[in-house]
Amino acid sequence: MNLNRRQLLWAGGGMGVAALLTACGGDKESATSPAGDGGEPRRGGTLRVGALGRASAITRDPHGTQGNESDYLIISLVHDTLAAPGAKSNTVPRLASGWTSSPDLTTWRLTLAKGAAFHDGTPVTAADVVWSLRRLRRTPAGSARLPGIQEDNINADGEDAVVLVSDYPNAELPLLTRLTTFVLKKDTPDKEVAKAPGTGPFVLDWFRGGNARLVRNDRWHGGRVHLDAIEVTMFESPQAMTNALLSGQIDLASNAGAVAARTAAARKDLQVVRRPDDMAMPLVMRTDQGPFADPRVREAMKLVVDREAMVKQVLSGYGTVANDVLGTADPRYAKDIPQRTRDLERAGRLLKEAGFDFGRTYELVTTEDVPGLADSATLFAHQAREAGVKVEVVKQESGAFYEKTWLKGDFYTNYWGTNDSVVFFASKTMVTGAGQNEAQWSDKDFDAAYRKATAAADDTERATALHDLQKLEFERSGYLLWGMADGIDLAAAKVHGLPRLPGYGRVQLEGVWLSR
Amino acid sequence: MLVVLLAVVFAAVRLLPGDAASATSERGEGAAGVAARRHLLGLDRPVWEQFADWMTALPSGDLGTSARGERVDDLLAAPFPNTLLLGGTAFLLTVAAALALGCWASLRPGGAVDRLVTLTSTAAFALPEFVVSVGLLLVLSLWTDWLPAATVTGADGTPASWTMLVMPVLALTIPQTGWNALVVRAALADQAAAPHVEAAVLDGLPPARVLLRHALPGALPVMATGFATSTGMLLGGAVVVETLFNYPGTGTVLAGAVADRDTPVIAGVVACAGAAVSLVLLLADLIRARTTGARP
Repeated sequence: MNLNRRQLLWAGGGMGVAALLTACGGDKESATSPAGDGGEPRRGGTLRVGALGRASAITRDPHGTQGNESDYLIISLVHDTLAAPGAKSNTVPRLASGWTSSPDLTTWRLTLAKGAAFHDGTPVTAADVVWSLRRLRRTPAGSARLPGIQEDNINADGEDAVVLVSDYPNAELPLLTRLTTFVLKKDTPDKEVAKAPGTGPFVLDWFRGGNARLVRNDRWHGGRVHLDAIEVTMFESPQAMTNALLSGQIDLASNAGAVAARTAAARKDLQVVRRPDDMAMPLVMRTDQGPFADPRVREAMKLVVDREAMVKQVLSGYGTVANDVLGTADPRYAKDIPQRTRDLERAGRLLKEAGFDFGRTYELVTTEDVPGLADSATLFAHQAREAGVKVEVVKQESGAFYEKTWLKGDFYTNYWGTNDSVVFFASKTMVTGAGQNEAQWSDKDFDAAYRKATAAADDTERATALHDLQKLEFERSGYLLWGMADGIDLAAAKVHGLPRLPGYGRVQLEGVWLSR
Repeated sequence: MLVVLLAVVFAAVRLLPGDAASATSERGEGAAGVAARRHLLGLDRPVWEQFADWMTALPSGDLGTSARGERVDDLLAAPFPNTLLLGGTAFLLTVAAALALGCWASLRPGGAVDRLVTLTSTAAFALPEFVVSVGLLLVLSLWTDWLPAATVTGADGTPASWTMLVMPVLALTIPQTGWNALVVRAALADQAAAPHVEAAVLDGLPPARVLLRHALPGALPVMATGFATSTGMLLGGAVVVETLFNYPGTGTVLAGAVADRDTPVIAGVVACAGAAVSLVLLLADLIRARTTGARP
C-alpha cells in the first residue's frame, strides 16, 4: 500500500521511476536542455551536486527502496535502466535499444544496446538482465514494479535479447522498464551489491555516509560523457542545500523547491531550472460513500477552486494550472478538454440539486509531507467558504495520515511525484480494484476505456481510448487536480546541459558540462 | 538504566501510528508487498521478542539492520564520531567560556561586569539553538562569506575542512554557555558566603587568589553537575544544529529514523548517545566524590 511519505517524491516505486538519459544510441530526442545554451560542450571538470536525503534512510541496493534522492541519483548514474523517460514519447531506449511485441501485446522482446559493458569491461548479456529483473521482481515491492510479469516469465532469448511475458495484454509494457530496472552482473552476492560494477555513464569512486564521488565511464554505450567527475553531497534539508549553493560549495542543488528558487532568483550568478509537471498535489474526494459520493458534489468542488490563485500562492507561481486529469506530462495528455475554471454560480446550483448539506463542516485532512501541501488545503478551505461550503483543515502527522486517512478518508490532500503517464495513474489509482484507488472510484465506462487503451495494438485506436479515458476522468473521478508544481533545480551559471524533464528526469546528468 | 531506556524506545516506536514496513514501502506496492516487508523486518513478532533479539546481539557490537536493509553500525560509523567531535568541542568550549565568565562576574558581585554577564547569559540561554544557528549563518556566511554555510564531507566521512565546524560548534556553545555561566556564578556566590572564603577575604588576600584557591574548589561539585547536565542538552541541540548546517552526525540520523519508525536505527543512536551521556555523568560523579571527599 503505502506511499513513501515525503520520500515518495523520489522513490516512486510503482513504476514511474527510472531515470537517466535518453541520448541512447544516438537518439536525438534529448531530455536535457539544448546544448546551444552555452555553445559547444566542453569536456572536463567536476560537478558538485547537492541532493536531498536522510542518513537513516540510506539504501545502497539498486533494487531496494530508495527513500533518498541522493541514493537514487548515485545509483542511476552508476547503473543503467532498460528504458528511460523521454520528452516526446513516454519511454525511450537506454540499456535496451529497442523492443517489439507479439500481436496480442503480451509477449515483449527487448534487445540490448550494442557495446554495453560493465565498468570492469565484461559485456552485458541477456543472462545479466534476466537475473537483475528477476531479483527486482522478488523484492517486496516487486509486484508493483513489474506488475503482471511473473518471475518465471522473464527469460533470455539468445545473448542479447530478453523476453517478458505479461499476464495480460499491455501496450505500455516498456513503460514498466523505466522503473528501477538497474542491471547488475548475474549472481552478484547481496553483500557486494553496493559496490558492484554498473553499466552507466559514471563509475563509483567512493561512497561514504550518503555522499559519493563518481568518475566518468569512457566506455559508456550511451555516448560521450563530458564531466570528469560528479561529487554528490547529501543534504537533510533544502535550506542547507540552498545555503551551500549560495556560498559556492556546490554547483547544482537538485530539487531545491520554490522557496529556494525565490531566494536564488535575485542572484545573477545562479540559474533557476524549472522542470514543469513535476508534482501533482490533488485533493481526493471519496466516491463510493460520504458527502462526495454524488458526482454533482465533486464537480461543484472542482468549480469552487480558484486554480490560478492556488498556483500563485501555494506554489509561489512555480507551477501551472491543471484540469483534474493526472499525468499532465504525458505526450498523450488530452490538451483539448476545455480548462475548468471557477464558476461559483454553477457550483451552487449543482450542490443544491444534489441536496448538499451546507450546515455541516467538512474536514479536509492534510499533511506537511511536501512544501505547500497544507497550504493548498488551507487556501481551498478559504475559497470554499466563498461558495458557502464550510471546510475545516485537519493536519495529520505523516505516519498517522497513511494509517488512518489515505485510501479511506472522505476528503484529503495527496501528492504524486511520479508524474508518469495517464495510463500510470489510471492503472494505479482509478481503475476498479486498483491497489491505490485513493477515491475508491469504480466506473464501468472508465474501466472499459482503460482496458481498450492497454489492449489496443492499433495506435489510433489506443489514442482514441486514451482520450475517452481522460474525458471520463475529467468528468467523474474523485480527483480535484488544481495544478502541477514545477520541479526546481538551482545551478551556478557555469553549468550547462541540465535535465528539463519532470520527476526522475532530474537525475539525467550525463549530458551536463561546465563552461570555463 | 540504559536497558530500560532502550526498552522504552522499542515500546514507544510501536505506539506511534504506522510502522517501518509501511513507512519504507513504495508507492504502488500492494498490501501483500507490505506484509512481506513486515515479515522480512520481523515486525510481525511481539515487540519484546524484537527487543530481546536486538539486545542479545548488542554485546557483539551488532546494532541490527535498518528498515531499508543497511547495517546500523555502518549507518552510524561515520556520524557518531562526527557528533562526538561536534559535541565534545562544544562541551570544552562551554566549560572554558562558562568558567571564565562566571569567575569574572563573581570577582565583583553586583558590579557592572557581573550584571552584564548575568544579563547576557540569561539571554543566551533563552535563545533556542536554531535561532542562534540562523543568525550565525546569515552574518558569518551569507552576508560576509567568511565561513562555509554547509558541511561537505570528504572520502573519509569527516567534514572536508575545520572551518565547517565553527558555526555548528558556536550554535551549540552559545546557549549552553549562558546556562553554565549562571551556574558557575551562583556556585561561586554560595562559596563566597562560606566561612573559609570569608576568612581568606578578611586575611586581605587578593580577590583573584581567593577566587581560584579558596572559592573555586568548593564550587566544583555543583559546577561539575551543571556541566554534566549540559551533555544531554548538547546532544539534543545537535539534532537541530546538524540539520541546519548539514553536519553529518547522529542527530540527522535520529530525526529521519523516527519518521521511518525504524526501531533498530533509533535504538542504535539512543544506545550511543546514552553511553556518551552516562560516561560524562559518571565522570561528574567521580569529580564530585573526589572534591567533596577531599574536603570533609
